[in-house]
Amino acid sequence: MLELKELTKHFGEVKAVDRVSFRVERGEVFGLLGENGAGKTTTLRLLATMLKPTSGTAVVAGFDMVKEPEKVRKHIGILFGGESGLYDRLTAAENIEYFGKLNNMDKDELKRRVQELTEIFGMGEYIHRKTGKFSKGMKQKVAFARSIVHNPDIMLFDEPTSGLDVSAIRDVHDFIMDCKKAGKTIILSSHTMSEVEKLCDKIGIIHKGQLADYGTIPQLTAKYKESSLEEVFIKLVGEKI
Amino acid sequence: MSLKHVWIVFSKEIKDMARDKRTLISNILIPIILMPLVFTLMGGGISKMEKDIVENVTVALSQASDTPEIRDLVADIFSDNPNIKILDPVADPVEAVRNDRIRFVLDVEKDFAEKMNQGKPFHITVTFDQTDTKSGGSYGIITNAIEQYAQKVTEDRLTKMNIDVSILRPIEILNEDASPEKGGGNLMLMMILPMLATILIAVGGIPAATDLVAGEKERGTFEPLLTTQANRMSILFGKYLAVTLFAIICVVAQLIGVFIGNIVSPTFLTMGVPGADLKFHIPTLALLLTILITVTLGMVFAGLQLAVSTYARSFKEAQTYMSFLMLIAMLPAYATMIMQPDDVKLFMFFIPLLNAIASLKLVLGNTINYSYLGIALVSSLVYVFISLILAASMFKKEKVLFRS
Ligand SMILES: Nc1ncnc2c1ncn2[C@@H]1O[C@H](COP(=O)(O)OP(=O)(O)OP(=O)(O)O)[C@@H](O)[C@H]1O
Ligand SMILES: [Mg+2]
Repeated sequence: MLELKELTKHFGEVKAVDRVSFRVERGEVFGLLGENGAGKTTTLRLLATMLKPTSGTAVVAGFDMVKEPEKVRKHIGILFGGESGLYDRLTAAENIEYFGKLNNMDKDELKRRVQELTEIFGMGEYIHRKTGKFSKGMKQKVAFARSIVHNPDIMLFDEPTSGLDVSAIRDVHDFIMDCKKAGKTIILSSHTMSEVEKLCDKIGIIHKGQLADYGTIPQLTAKYKESSLEEVFIKLVGEKI
Repeated sequence: MSLKHVWIVFSKEIKDMARDKRTLISNILIPIILMPLVFTLMGGGISKMEKDIVENVTVALSQASDTPEIRDLVADIFSDNPNIKILDPVADPVEAVRNDRIRFVLDVEKDFAEKMNQGKPFHITVTFDQTDTKSGGSYGIITNAIEQYAQKVTEDRLTKMNIDVSILRPIEILNEDASPEKGGGNLMLMMILPMLATILIAVGGIPAATDLVAGEKERGTFEPLLTTQANRMSILFGKYLAVTLFAIICVVAQLIGVFIGNIVSPTFLTMGVPGADLKFHIPTLALLLTILITVTLGMVFAGLQLAVSTYARSFKEAQTYMSFLMLIAMLPAYATMIMQPDDVKLFMFFIPLLNAIASLKLVLGNTINYSYLGIALVSSLVYVFISLILAASMFKKEKVLFRS
């Protein structure tokens, strides 16, 4: 479903992502675990085709991200950062529709989809109200709906729970699990050990732009002869320093 | 680039802006209300000034020349001017004039009657403050009255000698005015309209441009937008058209304000001359060219503003850069405010901003020159292209788009 091949991104001297390769199978949740500045956001921005790689590439949903970025974008949905940015003066429905239209959905299809999403997220009461005065929870639901309006196969989450309170974190986790249940392939970045342990099938540990190693938690703990993911992480990241 | 995506972005931005009450009020409603207000206040002031100059002229004799004969003489001189009021004599003419107690003080030679009888000239000294607008304006009224009196005296003398008065006037000048028909009000419009229109078209897009990129980045809607299937140039172009339209709307709002202002206070644009019509005979082609030149100026600035908005690290930073852009637009507009159409130089038509100002002045002054207008439009289009390239290159720069 998704394969990174020596994906590399330099910002001047900084090697933000350095020859990263891994595979994610359909329906898998892959966690990118790394410290601040490790290169998580850059990796996800590359996969979302917002940035062009310095070298290397990735095949996303069967399309080469360098050669056919627009086809890749058709198959991905993103939820970046904790706060959900919406257009305050547009209604919830208009916010969602805007992204649907830009993803080439036709009118009837979009109408049906918005209705469907309204039911899924229980937004019936406020779907036609402007989002400016929404509570954080309401905004978050709109942002969720927006990210999957075009029904992408692949979801990219960049630290989706950073800066959120407990109940909001729970909602995000539920959303990710629902995406998984719906058969979507997911890449999630985080620097919270417990979050990755809870949600992810496979974990990649990224440090200074390089992928130190990746695999399931049992694979990693067995390989490095440690009792927990945390120990593995410290071992891998510590070793490199 | 996909036209469909451009349209989707454009119409969303327009809908979004149409709901932004604060921006709408300050950019559209306030000019419509403010202009008539300015016109009424300033127009009232000008009319009052004009009236003062013509109607409330005060004259006094210096105490030194306050004799019954001189009083009679002065009354005689001004007998045809009911608007001139003769007040009590003053001791210190300079002091009285400077303190605005009186506009003119006349000092007449004591032995004027004697000199007049002998056919010799005598002196009348007029003391007034030339730097005072009202005194300066009324000066002609006073000297005219005195000269007319002198002429009458001359005519009396000649008649007494049985000589025909016309011997003094071997040539009589007849005037024929060949100037194109200029309404008295065009002068004022020629000053304020190019200034208002260029400043507004250049700054009108600022709130929109700031919001549309820097604002989106700050609110976190920009990254999701970039991952839709719309490519970057479609997004940029949709926003660009929205910013341009907003600038045009600002100018139109201002023009409506001027129009209403002229209805409310018709004497402002005509500089106090009531009834002087605003006369325009602008050929359709010239009008069209001028509108195009103005709109393209708006496009140049829309491109610059979007480039700046993209470059800025934050909304605040964008606002700071925008105020520089605003200054750039205002300086040439103010600097050329009083410039007349005759003073417009060829080089101006090659320079952004100045080309729009110069074209507007030409057209409003009824001195249309199509090659100049053509140069202005072509040069403006070149600048549109350059500013678009600048905005597009900013929009492609990863370092600029994704800095945090
Ligand atoms: N647009 C950019 N221009 C220049 N350097 C950048 C840019 N984006 C990221 N970097 C640099 O690349 C490196 C990786 O950054 P990145 O944001 O990918 O890390 P991260 O793992 O997401 O960190 P965090 O946990 O802080 O979000 C950092 O050194 C960062 O300074
Ligand atoms: Mg990050």
